[in-house]
Parts: sequence; structure tokens; C-alpha cells
Amino acid sequence: MFNLDELTNSVVDGQVAKAVETTQKALSAQVPAKEILDNGLLPAMNRVGSDFESGEIFLPELLMAGDAMKASIELLKPELTSKGATYAGKCVIGTVEGDLHDIGKNIVILMLEGNGWEVTDLGIDVPPQRFCDEIKKGSYDIVGLSSLLTFTMPKMPETINILKEAGLRDKVKVIVGGVPLNQSFADQIGADAYARDAVEAVVKARELVNK
Amino acid sequence: MQTLTSLERIMKAVHLQEPDMVPTFEIDIDERVIEALKPGAVYEDFIDYMDIDAACYHETRTDSYEVLDKEKRIVRDQWGAVKKFSGVSFGIPMLLEPAIKSKDDLKKYKLPDPDRPERFNRIKDAVKRFKGKRAIIATVRPFATMRDSLRGQDELFKDMIRDPEFVDSLDHLLRGYYGRLVKNLIDAGVDIVLETADIAFTNGPMVALKHQSRFIFPALKEIVDYCHSRGIPCLKHTDGNIWALMDLIVEAGFDGIHPIDPVAGMDIGEAKDKYGEKLCIMGNVDCGNLLSWGSKEEVRDTVKDCIRKAGKGGGYICMSGNSIHGAVSPDNYAEMIRAIREYGKYPLSLA
Repeated sequence: MFNLDELTNSVVDGQVAKAVETTQKALSAQVPAKEILDNGLLPAMNRVGSDFESGEIFLPELLMAGDAMKASIELLKPELTSKGATYAGKCVIGTVEGDLHDIGKNIVILMLEGNGWEVTDLGIDVPPQRFCDEIKKGSYDIVGLSSLLTFTMPKMPETINILKEAGLRDKVKVIVGGVPLNQSFADQIGADAYARDAVEAVVKARELVNK
Repeated sequence: MQTLTSLERIMKAVHLQEPDMVPTFEIDIDERVIEALKPGAVYEDFIDYMDIDAACYHETRTDSYEVLDKEKRIVRDQWGAVKKFSGVSFGIPMLLEPAIKSKDDLKKYKLPDPDRPERFNRIKDAVKRFKGKRAIIATVRPFATMRDSLRGQDELFKDMIRDPEFVDSLDHLLRGYYGRLVKNLIDAGVDIVLETADIAFTNGPMVALKHQSRFIFPALKEIVDYCHSRGIPCLKHTDGNIWALMDLIVEAGFDGIHPIDPVAGMDIGEAKDKYGEKLCIMGNVDCGNLLSWGSKEEVRDTVKDCIRKAGKGGGYICMSGNSIHGAVSPDNYAEMIRAIREYGKYPLSLA
């Protein structure tokens, strides 16, 4: 049996070249891509996420680990996509209109991807209609709305209302997050979940698709 | 106690002494709030109208922008970075393309001119209007320039691990610029320099302490030392949970710390107890939820609480937990100032 610990450690340590080399070795040894994802990358990102949360590592280390993970996932993609529904779920995410902050959103994306999610990043300053258009196009499980600025928070209920008007609200679960938000705001605007941080976002996303 | 001028009030607090009353000012006040409380007023009129103790002028507002796409609000900043304004936030645009994408770019890089006279026009006008009466504060933000204009956040943070010497080069490049800029600001008549680059998030520092110590704080210490050599106090702002950074902030020689971010769980009583003998404590009135959506009573209670915890003996400036942004209720901001004036008179009557 192929030992994927080396891959896990290279991702945790942010060693891109080593992560690529180890992933290639595993693929050459006929380890299925899904197994590499589940037993190599997922433990790595969970460790990185929890170390980040507890203050043992910081953004530079997290970003380097993210690069290593992405490089490995790129190699797995052909097999993952050719074999159909191997993703944990599909998520579209963006920072709401008027807000140009993306650090939190990008960390959430890293954690989701590391946990086997397919993520479409709409970027920053995303108008409600743009979320709606994207959800019309693809079969998403989750839409993630991010906001750092208090005065852009009203764009979240606006986005939810546009989804309702378009008849899409029941097709997708809405997770909101960002520094000024809390659970009561999420409840008030009719979001399905509030995530305090990236680790919680992954947990909530998983719970919502498993409901 | 004899009534002090706003300038004296701020200076006493910054020097950890007890003024006649707890002073107040804001790093930023959104023009929508100004318009609602004093229609037609420019910033300086509003400062006088509300009797705010200091006027704050931003480095980023003195930048010159080359408009690349007016409709999409895309510009090139003075550092050469391509950025986009959101149209609704405070005039700090988001980076689309950094100025320095490679080492070759760095070799060819030409700094903007810190001596450009137009940069100081607003400060000079403020000096004419406020000098000796209200504190004139100028902000600078070297690390934010490195992160948000020169290199881009993700690349800069990754450089700290994969190519630290490259970050050292960017740091040294900026030190010369900021040394000159701070000198010019002080020559122009500012009373206080405020360094405003965020170096923490809600859950803690953005980068490890070893990286803070190597790439961020040496430049800050240079600015602080220079300010002190000219008899000018130097304050630090950073959002986020900064407990892990407080000793570095003290060691750098800063005179005060803002905003003791309540959203990040920073407790102002604890900040006062632990650091009140070394730093002027500033801020902590929540502007995320309280000033935006809270009731006037809640605003008064929070102001009272902040003054009770941090006002004792002076060394406290009562301010919002970040800024008076566009979603702050103008009435709540007015109430906050009223409450500061009512409950902030020394000797404090709050138990």
C-alpha cells in the first residue's frame, strides 16, 4: 500500500515541488486520485486549517500550503473529472458588491478545495445578479457570500432575494461569512448557515449537502 | 480643571496624562455621515462643528491616480499598481496588478516622489486652520504599500518564506521613501504621525512574529525614532487581535495603539491594565454592529464602559473600533460624541 504521509507533510510544509513529485509517484503507483485526495491532501489541509486557527501558522505558511495543494490537485484533476462525481460538492463563492476584500474568502476556497470541493470563485465586488446568473448556469450545492465591511452586508439579503425572485433559492444553500457577521444576522436574512472561519465553512458546507 | 484646547487634550492623553476630558477623533469619517449631520460641510467644517479634537489626513488621499478605465473605476496608483475602487468604500482601492511582479521589475523600479509639493497641500491648509487648536494627524502605511501596491498580498506573504531577501529589498526601498515623507509631513506642521497598516486579523497576527520582526517592525521603529527625534508622537493602528503583537508595538516605541478592535475580541480593560502605562489606549467603540445598528442607549452604555475601563488617569482617546464608515448611523455617531463629552470629564464620575 502506498504511503501518502510524505504528500501530506509536503503540503503542510508548503513544498510545492515535493508535493508534485509525491503526487506523480502515487499516480504512477496506480493509487486512485480519489484516494490521494482523501488520504493525502485532505488530512494536510485539515492540519493546516487547524494550525492556522490555533495560531501555530500564519498566512504565509497557509498560502504556501495552498500552492502545494493546488499543484497536487492539478495532477489529480484529469482522473477526478473523468470518473464523474467525485467532488464533495460544488460551491460558488464571492465577496459581495462594494466590498473588495478577499483574504477570508480565499482561505475558505483553499479549505474547501483541500476538502474535495469544486469551487467557482467569482472574485470581489460581485453584484447580486452575478451570483444569480452563475447559479442559473451551474448545478451548485452552495453559494458562499463574504463581506468584511458593515455597509456591504445588506448586499447579502439582496442576493438572497434575487435568488428567490429567480426561483433558485431552494436549489442552493447559502452560507455567509465575514468579520462583522454573526449567527443572528444570518438568521435574520434567511441564510442557511453562518461560518465563523474557513474551517467552520467546510464543516457547515458538508452538513448542508448531507441534510 | 482648566479647559484645554483640543490639541492639548490629545497631547496629554498621548503622553499618558490626564486631560480635562477624554478626547476623541476618528481616523476616517465617511462623507455620508458628515453630510447627514452637517449638510454641505467639508471635513474641516465638520471637525469644528462637532468639536472633534483632531483632524486626520491620509497618505493614500495624497496619492495621484492615473485613471485607466473611468467606468470600471480602474486606476494606476502612484506606485505603479493597477487598482479598482469599489465606489462605496473609503477610497482605498483593491489591488488588481502589483507594481513589482519580479526581481527584474524591482531592479527597474522608480519610487514616486515623496517631495512632490501638492502632496502636502491639504496638510498645509489644515495647519493654517487648526494649528495650535486641534491636533493635526498624518497617516503613513509602509507595510501596506509593500503589500497592497508593490507586491500584492499573496505574493508578498509567500516571498517571506520562499525569498526573504526579496522582501528585505522591498523593505529597504520603502524606508528611504517613508523617511523622507515623514520628514516632509512634520516640516509641514503635523502634530502626530499615525501608522495605519493592518498587521493582524480577527484571530491574530497576519504573519509570524519572526516575520513581523524582520519585515515590518524595523521600518516602523525607524519612523517612530525619527518622529521622536522631532518631538512628535507616533501612534499605531491595526485591526485585529493584537495581543501577540503588543510587546513588539511597545518595543518599537509607539506612543499609542488603536483601535483595540472589539470585533476581534480585544478587551479594552485588559489593554489598559497590561499596557496603559506604556501606550495611550485608543478606540474600542464597536462600529461593526453597535454604531451601525445599535440603539442610542447601547451606544451611550458602550462609551461609558470604555471610559470606565480605559479612562482612569488619562491616556485614553475614545474612538470607534475602526472608523466612522458609511454604514454608521449618523445619529449614533453624534450620540457617541455627546456621551464622550458627558461621561468623559475628569475627574471621572464613573465608578
